Amino acid sequence: MLQATVAQAAVRMDEPELIRAAQRGDQRAFEQLVRAYDQNVLRLAMNLLRSPEDANDIYQEAFLRVYKNLHAFRFDCSFHTWLYRIVTNLCLDALRKRRVRREENTVVETSEGLLDRMDTVEESRADGDPQRQLMSRQLRKRMQEVLAGLTPRERAVFEMRHYHGMRLRAIGEMLGTSEEAAKNCLFRATQKMRSGLGDFV
Amino acid sequence: MKCDEARKTMPLFLYGEHSFEDEERLEVHIDECAACRDALAREKALFEALDSAEVAPSAALLEECRAELRSRLAHVEPERASFWDKIRQGFSIHVHLAPGIMQPVGALAMLLIGFFGARTMPSSLLSWNSAGVAEPAASRVRYVEPVGSGRVRIVVDETRQRTLSGNLEDQSIQRLLLTAAKDPSDAGLRVESVDLLKSKPQSAEVRSALLYAVQHDSNAGVRLKALDGLKGFADDPETRRTLAQVLLRDDNPGVRTQVIDLLIQHRTDAMVGVLQELMVKEDNGYIRMRCQRALHDMNASVETY
Repeated sequence: MLQATVAQAAVRMDEPELIRAAQRGDQRAFEQLVRAYDQNVLRLAMNLLRSPEDANDIYQEAFLRVYKNLHAFRFDCSFHTWLYRIVTNLCLDALRKRRVRREENTVVETSEGLLDRMDTVEESRADGDPQRQLMSRQLRKRMQEVLAGLTPRERAVFEMRHYHGMRLRAIGEMLGTSEEAAKNCLFRATQKMRSGLGDFV
Repeated sequence: MKCDEARKTMPLFLYGEHSFEDEERLEVHIDECAACRDALAREKALFEALDSAEVAPSAALLEECRAELRSRLAHVEPERASFWDKIRQGFSIHVHLAPGIMQPVGALAMLLIGFFGARTMPSSLLSWNSAGVAEPAASRVRYVEPVGSGRVRIVVDETRQRTLSGNLEDQSIQRLLLTAAKDPSDAGLRVESVDLLKSKPQSAEVRSALLYAVQHDSNAGVRLKALDGLKGFADDPETRRTLAQVLLRDDNPGVRTQVIDLLIQHRTDAMVGVLQELMVKEDNGYIRMRCQRALHDMNASVETY
């Protein structure tokens, strides 16, 4: 499953057709659906949770839920919204649990000393300039602190709007709230970002 | 617009979430107010800084996620749409009633369909044959839907045998074999499927299935067949990692022996540690001897200190 060859070989269908086919048990159609969205799902989870392991957990749980419950999808909303609702709810739960456990730190102790797990992930705009890399590392560290100060909902809205370019209306729909509430969340998040990172820029 | 309001709404402006009128008002204010122009420039700089701090998952992580999902899906059955789900979908009615109310309402709807359907449909159409449904060997009604004028459309799952033949190069044949290679209920089918697939290990999908079988298949015969298929990949790092794990974990001496044979085709430093670890726990005399010989050939000690 999920092999590129399969996805390429599969007949191109539009999304509603793919969903209906997957609902009838067509594995290839399900693979195509996963392939169409999984990179963005992983990116969202990664940015929200800032941990490759947690992002993988969210990825697995989200697509397993989609697989198990696809029969219940009734085209009341777009598949994208439905999937992201599942993903954001899982991420919010993880963030809330993490808040309780206060496990915001990405630094882990290894046999080779302290290692920031976020150093193992790619920066979207990393380049070869050492000064820029240093700046980027410092900024990331500060961002980590500022992000920890956001509520899970503020964080989700901010990530979806800033990094995924989603409209506030769609974000509100995904989080089961109004556009206005999403707008307020974004507003609070950017305020906190500004006060936390203001001296960096 | 006043400065306070302008500053407050700048993020929404940059995100393009302002209405046309609000955008217009802010732009007019920015044109007239130097302090707010500076504030907007700082806000833009902040946005750019945030852009640069985005993390993107690595390709390796994505592949890892996909591989894990692949293996997990192999053991999960999608939940079938319940009778009531299908009835609701068929009618395209989305009434948000409490679950306790939905079932009696649905039951009543079905009774009415049955009642009026039976009243309006000619009795000849109610027989199986005249409805165009051949009696299958095994069938189950999956879906019923009123189609108007008292007629009902019924979707029946039928279990039938089909004989397929094709070349191993054929993707659909390969896919069926890959599915059969994981059939938990039939070890014989898995042995035959892996035996056929092992001639195509150059396909990443097949190789992944062979590695999966070596690691997870409960039947030693299947594991041995899969190992056979991996012979040409004894120098592949992923294969070697998997084989090292199997060597230390597999309870079948035949499998362990074959794994040693594969691993020592390409002697690496990492091998020494694995073989030394095996020596600590291995009970089988023959395997211990093979292990000792391999360590000796690599000028390594038999034990760790």
